[in-house]
Amino acid sequence: MDVLIQIIASGLTLGAMYAVATIGLSLVYGSLNMLNMAHGALLTLGGYICYATITHLGFHPALALIAAALVCAAAGLVIYAFATLPLLRAENFETNIFIATIGIGSIIENLMLKSFGPYPIPQPLGISGQVVIGNVHIPVQNILILVTALTLMAAVAFLLQKTRTGRAIRATSMNREAAQLMGVRVGQVYAQVLALSGALAAVSGIMISSIATLTPVMGGDPMLKAFIVCVVAGLGNVYGAVIAAIVLGLLEAATQYVFGVRWSFATLLLLVILVLIWRPYGLFGRGQVVRL
Amino acid sequence: MTGIRRDILIGLACLLVAVLVPILLGGRYIVTQATVFFIWAIVVVQWNLVLGIGGIFSLAQMALFATGAYATAMLGFYLKVPMLIAIPLGGLVTVAASMIIGLACLRLRGPYVALLTLAIAQVMFVLIVNDTACFTNSSGCMPLFGGVRGIGQFGDLGLRALFPTKWYVAHYYVALSLLAIAVVFSITVIRGPLGLAFKALRDSPGYALSRGISRFKYQLWIFAVSAFFTGIAGGFYAVHFRVIGPTVFSFPLLLFLIAMIVVGGMGSIWGPIIGAALLMLADEGMKEFSDYRNIGLGLLVTLFVILWPRGLAGWFERLSLLRISDSQKNT
Repeated sequence: MDVLIQIIASGLTLGAMYAVATIGLSLVYGSLNMLNMAHGALLTLGGYICYATITHLGFHPALALIAAALVCAAAGLVIYAFATLPLLRAENFETNIFIATIGIGSIIENLMLKSFGPYPIPQPLGISGQVVIGNVHIPVQNILILVTALTLMAAVAFLLQKTRTGRAIRATSMNREAAQLMGVRVGQVYAQVLALSGALAAVSGIMISSIATLTPVMGGDPMLKAFIVCVVAGLGNVYGAVIAAIVLGLLEAATQYVFGVRWSFATLLLLVILVLIWRPYGLFGRGQVVRL
Repeated sequence: MTGIRRDILIGLACLLVAVLVPILLGGRYIVTQATVFFIWAIVVVQWNLVLGIGGIFSLAQMALFATGAYATAMLGFYLKVPMLIAIPLGGLVTVAASMIIGLACLRLRGPYVALLTLAIAQVMFVLIVNDTACFTNSSGCMPLFGGVRGIGQFGDLGLRALFPTKWYVAHYYVALSLLAIAVVFSITVIRGPLGLAFKALRDSPGYALSRGISRFKYQLWIFAVSAFFTGIAGGFYAVHFRVIGPTVFSFPLLLFLIAMIVVGGMGSIWGPIIGAALLMLADEGMKEFSDYRNIGLGLLVTLFVILWPRGLAGWFERLSLLRISDSQKNT
């Protein structure tokens, strides 16, 4: 029983963090068909900005969180202006933007390495203390992460469902040309989506670094997992991605307990491949009909 | 001049220059660096077949390279297979591995393939690095795949014993011949039925599909055949450095190789080799700024993709097109 509580507690925390990282990726893919390989670097950037503003500038933690989100949103806009926009005009957008964002990610990550050094730094934003359920001690930090993640997800869902901007984003991801014909400024939607995805990346980077540590390469692993989540859910499907993230988080916690940490990623990947053989467009994805 | 004739001429000219390098500039450093260049050139030439010709967004190339290298090293270490046999066997193991990866991934669409292949490479890396259980104790504890330290002492081609002082020159020529064979192979693939099938699929997918050209089948083929020389390059890499470790999975290395293809020009025959040569040279020239190496690589990749997506090969093509239109104007 205690084991089960432990697995559920850590699995939900993992899942919540993956979900926040995944929403951004999924939104960007859904509306632009762009796989943002710089997403992991944006997570790292967010984590470090939060650390730097708290320790060096003496910001209040809440302010630091906002500052990190703003900086990463700005980084998303920069990516839009200098990479996405020119590439959208050329052919082979999907391939080219993929490679370009690999390059951008490497630039950001190595700038972090230059400015903060390769050694792990603890994230100052955090709460100590524990809650005891049964015989299991759960850090308050994990609960805080869960609450923040849920709030953010609710906010994003509200934005997507109820606001004008959200409607424009959804319309664009459903059918770009039709949205454009209906007067949606597609370029503006792209910029908004990339900025939003950057801000979400920052928050999830802060969450991840607050239970692990800050290192320049910390973004790679969560990004890969977020991608896997996206793939399982079907690329571009935001709500499916949230469900898939939480399920994968729970699964990861369970496999870590059953097979050991070493095998958890391998088991996850095997599952993902099996799912994809069964449903090539992901669990919630719909097959695309290609007209020639 | 037809395309195939031009390719043969360029190839022979490059080969001639390369054969003369150790004789004219016999410095050990230049020769060993050139050997490393040949290894990476083999890898990018084969990767280019997958990326540029097959249109498969695979990031598993270094994982396949590692498969070849590890297979060779393990055959030598555990079964004492001589390297001359172990390297081709490693190539075959790599083909088998790529068939499995291909069967799992290639039915999916582009971005899914990229992510899955990247994840597969990452899983291999994690499994090798986190392995700490002893598999043998013959010379200290060693995990099955060598763990973080990698595998060493699996023998070599015998060239070190044959030419005690000049073995590196011998390795240079081995690598050069491997590259030459790999290039000839890639040209035959590009200009042969496989390349034609992909050209048909690209130019008119509907017509190609209705004529029975299955994209999946040909993608699986090109993925499998290009793995052979990738694996052999891996095997030679292991033999050349006498050790193979998990560093071959590192992301900066992957970025370095992507940069070679992007700068040279994806999908062209000679582009990746030009790119590999340029980036190796740039890497040498920028040794003092090695801190900024990965930032520079990232910038280079990004700039080329945005400004010149067809790479240097695209420039040459445009130049020759200009010349043709000029000569047409004159006549």
